[in-house]
Amino acid sequence: MEQEETPRKLCSNCQNEIAEGNFCSKCGQAQNDLEVQIYSKKWLSLLQAGLFILIQLVLCICAFLIQETSITITLALDFAMAGTAMAFFTYNWSENKPLLRWPNFSLKKLLAFVALAAMASLTLHFIANYINTRFLHEKFTYFDVYKSHEYGRYIMILSMAIFPAVFEELSFRGYLMQKLLIVVGEKEAIYISSFLFFIIHLNVLSFFWLLPFAIILGHIRIKEKTIWYGVAIHFIFNLTTCLVEFFNIDHFIS
Amino acid sequence: MENIANNDCSCCYTKYEINDLFCKTCGFPFQGTEQDQKNFLSERNVKEIDLESLNEKVATACKSLYWLSGLTAFSAIVIYFSSAGEDQLATLMTNIFLILSFLGLGIWSKHKPTAAMITGLSLYLIVILLNAVISPMTIVSGLIVKIIVIGALIKGIKAVLEVDKLKKELNID
Repeated sequence: MEQEETPRKLCSNCQNEIAEGNFCSKCGQAQNDLEVQIYSKKWLSLLQAGLFILIQLVLCICAFLIQETSITITLALDFAMAGTAMAFFTYNWSENKPLLRWPNFSLKKLLAFVALAAMASLTLHFIANYINTRFLHEKFTYFDVYKSHEYGRYIMILSMAIFPAVFEELSFRGYLMQKLLIVVGEKEAIYISSFLFFIIHLNVLSFFWLLPFAIILGHIRIKEKTIWYGVAIHFIFNLTTCLVEFFNIDHFIS
Repeated sequence: MENIANNDCSCCYTKYEINDLFCKTCGFPFQGTEQDQKNFLSERNVKEIDLESLNEKVATACKSLYWLSGLTAFSAIVIYFSSAGEDQLATLMTNIFLILSFLGLGIWSKHKPTAAMITGLSLYLIVILLNAVISPMTIVSGLIVKIIVIGALIKGIKAVLEVDKLKKELNID
């Protein structure tokens, strides 16, 4: 009975049973061929990930360089980033497809994540606002770019909450992390993708919140084997900032 | 003959059974001709020598992360004392962040060389690119150092991947 339960390892070449070791004692065939082949793919995976990051970075630099930000330019860059994410994600479709599934969906877990994201976003918003007004004596709002437009609020939600939530998750916790997992272990893939996620935002101060945020999203993505919890958290996190600005909650509280 | 009598593999010294044609641990051909056995041993030796030289490349690449930290510290001091204005504090903060990042990656590279070098190379390339966007002439300054550091890191990443592959081939953990 015990022998039936233990999976038998057979030689990939001559089907001889292999009790121990990595080589067949009858034909000498190495049994870790597949692992060795995977190692050959690693460099190619890194190059693909590098190209992806380079394109994302160029788009971020474009956004950074454009002095007078308008809704049209912001949306054009958003669409360009979304297009890049989609192109790379679908190019490796068979590799990435499992991430679009939602195994072990839990409404309780989703609601808990969403509530925590909203609270974290509110806390962070007020801390950043306090530092800006207290020490830098300036007040910055994202809504300034959008408020002149008739549908400014909807466009801001699209540009700041929906696009980043879907396409940054597809890019960093989806495509990039999947590529990195071919090369390094889970923890390292989380740290590298999080670091690149923080760097691509071109703001040193965001180290204190973007990096931990990305690490948490990375852990959730690895643990739950889906990007959808991350999309929901990211969406609520950014949406909370939008809503605070729409309803001028800062002013109301102060 | 002595090894066969002791049932120890001539290559990896693992015990084997008398019916085995090949070693389960390293693939050594027990029943092969003398020439087969010599060829096997020489191929394995070549791979082991390759492994040593690749490990040296990895060590050099890991050291380059410390060098980057030092060079950034040096340039930060020069920039801090030679410039003045509103951006001085922001530049100093960015440089301190970079110094600590490269230093941290250097320390991390002792345990996780692949991840540390990938992150280090990405960070360094992004810094070069951003500096070039702000001031295009910065791409030329220290060009040789940049080429050496980037080259060392790329070689290091390739080497560490090759080391992993060779270790799998040689069945070394």
